[in-house]
Amino acid sequence: MATAPLITFKAGKCDYTPGSKKVEPVPGPGYIYLYSEDDLMHFCWRPRSALSTDPELDLLMVPGDGSFIPYLGPDGDTNSDWIKSPTSGRIYVLKFSSSSQRHFFWLQSKSQEPSGNPSAFSQRDQKLGQIVDMLLSGQEIDVEEELQDLNRQGDGQDRDGDDTMEDVHGTNGDTQGPGSGGAGAGATGGDIRDEGEESREGGADGARAPSISAPSNDPSEVVRNFLSSIPGSNLSGAGGSQSRQNQPIVTLPDLFPSNITISMLESASPAYIDRLCSLLPPTILLLAQEADDPSDTDSSPAAAEAAIQALSVDQKKDILRRVLRSPQLIQSMASLTVALRDGGLPTVSEALQLRVDNGGYIRGGSMPLGGAQAIEAFLEGLKKTLEEEQKGGGGDGP
Amino acid sequence: MAEEGGWNTIESDAGVFTYLIEELGVKGVQFEELLSLDAESIQELSPVYGVIFLFKYIGEKPSSTPRDGKFDSEAPENMFFAAQTIQNACGTQALLSVLLNKDHEGVELGPTLTLFKDFTQGFPTELRGEALSNDPTIREVHNSFARASPFSLDPSLRPPVDPNDSDLYHFIAYIPHNNTLYELDGLQPHPISHGPLVPPASSTQTSDQNWYSQQFAKQVVEVIQRRIGRYGESEIRFNLLACCRDLRLRAQEMGDMVLLERERTKRRNWAWENALRRHNFVGLIGEVAKGVAAEKVKNGTWDEWLKGAKERAEERRKKGRGGDEMDLDE
Repeated sequence: MATAPLITFKAGKCDYTPGSKKVEPVPGPGYIYLYSEDDLMHFCWRPRSALSTDPELDLLMVPGDGSFIPYLGPDGDTNSDWIKSPTSGRIYVLKFSSSSQRHFFWLQSKSQEPSGNPSAFSQRDQKLGQIVDMLLSGQEIDVEEELQDLNRQGDGQDRDGDDTMEDVHGTNGDTQGPGSGGAGAGATGGDIRDEGEESREGGADGARAPSISAPSNDPSEVVRNFLSSIPGSNLSGAGGSQSRQNQPIVTLPDLFPSNITISMLESASPAYIDRLCSLLPPTILLLAQEADDPSDTDSSPAAAEAAIQALSVDQKKDILRRVLRSPQLIQSMASLTVALRDGGLPTVSEALQLRVDNGGYIRGGSMPLGGAQAIEAFLEGLKKTLEEEQKGGGGDGP
Repeated sequence: MAEEGGWNTIESDAGVFTYLIEELGVKGVQFEELLSLDAESIQELSPVYGVIFLFKYIGEKPSSTPRDGKFDSEAPENMFFAAQTIQNACGTQALLSVLLNKDHEGVELGPTLTLFKDFTQGFPTELRGEALSNDPTIREVHNSFARASPFSLDPSLRPPVDPNDSDLYHFIAYIPHNNTLYELDGLQPHPISHGPLVPPASSTQTSDQNWYSQQFAKQVVEVIQRRIGRYGESEIRFNLLACCRDLRLRAQEMGDMVLLERERTKRRNWAWENALRRHNFVGLIGEVAKGVAAEKVKNGTWDEWLKGAKERAEERRKKGRGGDEMDLDE
């Protein structure tokens, strides 16, 4: 079931902390590559030294949810022949309509702009981004043909040496306007997609150099060379994804192992403890009280309430500890993870009254989030709900 | 719109089976796990109504002759034997194969099962199987012990049953009936006879019933050992459950307070586990998640926490368990 990447090109990753409005390019050569499995697209990044089967980033992309566009900053000039990032390099951003997540990358092939401006996107640069963007939108495209189109339009020389980001730290170095630190304001608030589209059209109209055929610099050839140079891969398809089945999606048991949940319990308020107990099966509470045959016990909510009142805080903590360690709870968490992964986020978030973006659906669509994104959206929803509870005069959190 | 006709998989656990039959209205019967395959362990539990053997299903096709023993096509006329129609129901089917053949020996079936048995009295085996898989009460009780799924409301979200799932186990019941050892396997066309239980040589101190009970224990162990031997060197996971009279009753009758206390404790543990098994944990998980999230936000350790979770996920992947999150670290 392994598939060869559909497209691969040199790019570095950036560190981006949401809310910090700072994007920091990370030095070091890497590849962005996309592969498709089971009709789902994967967007991956790995250091060039790593195996193609071992990406640092492997995002399962729901068709239409992701877009990959040049980052032009808040003052981006979309009408010039050469679009550029407000930094000392060419930045692409991967965004999602289903969440506010962003991933930033910087192109590592040598800039082709005549004056060597390192932040200018060449035709080839834009084409690569467009191809990725089209793949993410679920379009079936022939990557080779697209790249050959480029060649026909005459992309000119493609010097494929590596670009080094000179300004590795402060991507906010160039733009000093208010609220424009680095990729910040634009990234979270601005309508970059529109900018990207316009510039794409702009680029397509202008800058059409006379065709120069240079077979050794054929972009599609270049991409093919990337593929065959990836260690451990071969074009017949063994590369890329046999680790797919072992893809480490973070699960609820990973997030809430008993050592973490139990230690949280230690400093919890009595009100919170009681709330947790009210979510247990009543039989559990009654068993803690009764010495006799449990089949005689009355397991109504009223009896449970009485038990919660009667048991001491320590007794209740004991019970909760035992439940938090139980295989049945872990199994439940695993099962809930599968449910979230497979599209259950809207149902779950409604049941738990969590404030999840778009109710757990892809923005503008009726398809629920899935995969790792659903888990992330779940966590974001937790955070958001907590923030709102606190603003509203505090729920009785732990 | 559920898979497998609406039957979910249940664990083959003595506590699950015991509570399942009690929910169905059976009284005075329990299941007990046999930790070793020997006649003494079975005899200790006398009176034993049958033994259920659970093993990984190797997919032996029904054939005109069984690998061991002989088909007895006439037996179903005075015995309950049903063809299995639903994979996930096979645990309950095995239970019923034992219970519905025992009621004349002092097993109290309760109204639900008595009704079911009478209803299917004259049916051919396939029809009995159909009746079982369609019985809403039995199915509902069975499903209530199934692996936790928060989505009983939306069956389309249940993970589908994978026929290549290595967790596909099969249940077979062995019972003494008419002083003959029978193997009841719903995937076979008929009950399989393993021959008569060896009668007592002459009138002995022990009663006949006692004798036959001991013989059953010995012979069933041999038959099962032969079956295990058929799987050769390949490692086979199996489980043995004996169906016997409620041990608390015996303890009370014999005045054995140690046994009584032990059985009572066991029942409390079973009640605990079953309560957890049947519980919908979504609410608790949500509240625990909020509690942990709040703590991490408060302490500023959110990112560290996520990182730790990713590391755990990576560990699992390295151990090769990433595929199915449903696997527990046993």
